[in-house]
Amino acid sequence: MSVKALTDQILMRERLTAQRLATTLAALAILLIAVGVFSVALGSEHVGLTNVIRIIAAEITGGAAEVSREQRIIIADIRLPRVLMAIVVGAALAVAGSAYQALLRNPLADPGILGISSGAALGAISATIFVESIAISRPVAAFAGAVITIAVVYALGQGRQGSGTERLILAGVIINALLSSIVIFLVTSASGARQRNVLSWLIGDLSGESRLLLPVALFVLIGIGAVYLNARSLNLMMIGEQEALTLGVEARRVKVAVYLAASLLTGAAVAVSGAIGFVGLIIPHAVRLVGGSDNRLVVPASALVGGIFLMLADTIARTVVAPRELNLGVITSLVGAPVFVYLLRRTN
Amino acid sequence: MLEARNLKFSYTKPVLKDVSFSVGSGELFAVLGPNGSGKSTLIKIIVGMLKPESGTVVVDGRNAASMSRRETARVIGYVAQESTVRFPLTAMELVLQGRFAQGRLIGFESERDVSEAEWAMRVTETIEFAARPVTELSGGERQRVMLARALAVRPRLLVLDEPVANLDITHQVKMLELIQRLTIKEGMTAIVVTHELNLAAEFAMSALLLKNGDAIACGAPREVMTRSALRAVFDTDLLVDDSPVSGAPRVTLIGRQRSEELNSRIEP
Repeated sequence: MSVKALTDQILMRERLTAQRLATTLAALAILLIAVGVFSVALGSEHVGLTNVIRIIAAEITGGAAEVSREQRIIIADIRLPRVLMAIVVGAALAVAGSAYQALLRNPLADPGILGISSGAALGAISATIFVESIAISRPVAAFAGAVITIAVVYALGQGRQGSGTERLILAGVIINALLSSIVIFLVTSASGARQRNVLSWLIGDLSGESRLLLPVALFVLIGIGAVYLNARSLNLMMIGEQEALTLGVEARRVKVAVYLAASLLTGAAVAVSGAIGFVGLIIPHAVRLVGGSDNRLVVPASALVGGIFLMLADTIARTVVAPRELNLGVITSLVGAPVFVYLLRRTN
Repeated sequence: MLEARNLKFSYTKPVLKDVSFSVGSGELFAVLGPNGSGKSTLIKIIVGMLKPESGTVVVDGRNAASMSRRETARVIGYVAQESTVRFPLTAMELVLQGRFAQGRLIGFESERDVSEAEWAMRVTETIEFAARPVTELSGGERQRVMLARALAVRPRLLVLDEPVANLDITHQVKMLELIQRLTIKEGMTAIVVTHELNLAAEFAMSALLLKNGDAIACGAPREVMTRSALRAVFDTDLLVDDSPVSGAPRVTLIGRQRSEELNSRIEP
C-alpha cells in the first residue's frame, strides 16, 4: 500500500459505529492483558511466563499454583498489584485528560497544566500529615483538593463574556504555581525519612499503596463511567458550548458532571501515585490521531491505552537500572514533554 | 412563524429596549444594524441561549420559554458566526451532531440520522468531503458544513449570525442563494444577521433595523432601507437608489468626511 493510500485510509475515516467501537476496544483489551502478563513476568527476579500465567490464574480462581513460595509472593503480592495499579492510574489520567480537553475545547488541556494535580497533591499531602492513620483519607482528600482547585480555576477563568479557554488555562497555570509552592513548603518542613517518602511519591511512584488498589479502582470506574455517559454531549461541547445548547445539550449539567468525574479520576490517581505528568495529554491525542475524535471512542480507548502506556513505563522504571528504580514520573515526562512541544508547534 | 413581543435585555446597560417584530412563515428575514445595536443579543434570545428580562418569543405558535432544550433544538437550527474547530472531526461526524436532539443521549446514530445528515450535506454541497476532517476545510466549506449541521434536524426556523462575514463575494452570493433556496423549496423560515446591506436588500423579503437596542423599522427592504433611516442608524452618509437589475434598494457608501468635502465643493 502506498503512503498516499495509507494516509487516505486514516484521513477518510468512516463514522464511528457500535461495531467499530466494539472491535477497537476488544483489540485494545487483548493488548492490555498481553502487556500486563509480560510486565508481571519482567523483573530482577526471573519467573517463567508459564509460571506467571499459572499464578495469575490461581489468584483469579482462588486455587493453588504449583510454584515456589518466593515466586508466588513476588508475582501475586508485589508485581501483580503494582501492574494493576499502573492500569488504574494510567486509565484515570488519560480519561481525565480527554474530559478536560473536550470541555475546554483545547487539545492541550491536561490535569497537570490546569493545576488539578497540584490541588489533589496538596489534599493528599495534608491527609498524610494530619490523618495518616486512615488509609482511605488520602484519595478522599486528593479528590476534595481536585474539586476545590477546578472550582477556583473555573471561577477565576470566568470573564464577563462567559469562560474564555485561554483565560481558564492561564488561571490554571497561576493556581498551579501557588499550590506547588505550598506543596514544596509542606514537603521541606517534613522530617527526614518521611520527607524522602513524600518526595518520591510526589514525582510519581507506583511502588507503595497497593492496599488502596480496590477503593481507587472503584473510584476510577465510577469516574470513567460518568465521563462516558456524557461522551455524545461532549462531542458537541467540543465544538462550542453555546451552539451545543442550541442543538439540545444541557450544557451546564454536562459540565458539572464531567468536571466532577475528571476531578475524581485525577484525585484517585494522584493519591496513589503522585503527580505523573503528561499521560492525560499524550494518550487521548494518540487515540484521536488513529481512531478519530468521537468521544464515544476516545474516552474508553484512552482508558485502555493509558493503562497499557503506564504499565510499560513502570516496567521500564523498575527494570532498566534494577535492582534500583527510576522514577515513573521522570519517564512519562521524558516521553511527554517533547510530544507536548511537538503538539504545541503543530497547533499553532 | 416567529413573533417577538416587547423584548428587553440588559447586561450592565440596556441592550434591547422593548423590541417587537414578527417573521412570517417561509420568509428570509434580515436583521440589520451597527455593531452594538443588539443584533447578537436578539439572536441569542431567539435561539434560547439567553432569557429575556421581559417579553416573550413565540415560535410556531408556542411560547419559547415553555419549550425544553431538546424541543427547541428540533424547531430552530442555529449557525454561529464563526466556529473554531480544534479537533479533527470529519464533516460527516460534525453534521451528525445536528441529530443530537432526535436521538438518545448515549448510543449511536440510526440509519434515519445518517440519511438526514446526507440530505443536509447534499443540499449544502458538502457531501463530497463528508469523510474529510473539518480542520482541513476552507472557511467557506466549513461554514457550509456548520449550516448542514443546523439543517440535519430539518428545523422549521434557521437562524444565522453573520453567515457571510468571512466569505469572498462569490461565496457570499452562493451562501445567500442557498438560504433562499431553503426558504422556497423546503419552506423553512430564515433569520439572517448581516452587515451586507446590498445582499440583504437583494435576498431578504423583510428586514429589521436596530439601533441602540431599539427597533427603528421593520418591513419590506424597500420600506425599511431608506436613505434617511440608514443614515440615522449607521451615523454615516450614504446613497440609496434602485438596483438596475432587480429594482431592490441599492446602497452606496459615501461616509461623513467625503460627504462634507463634496458638499463644500457644491456650495462654495
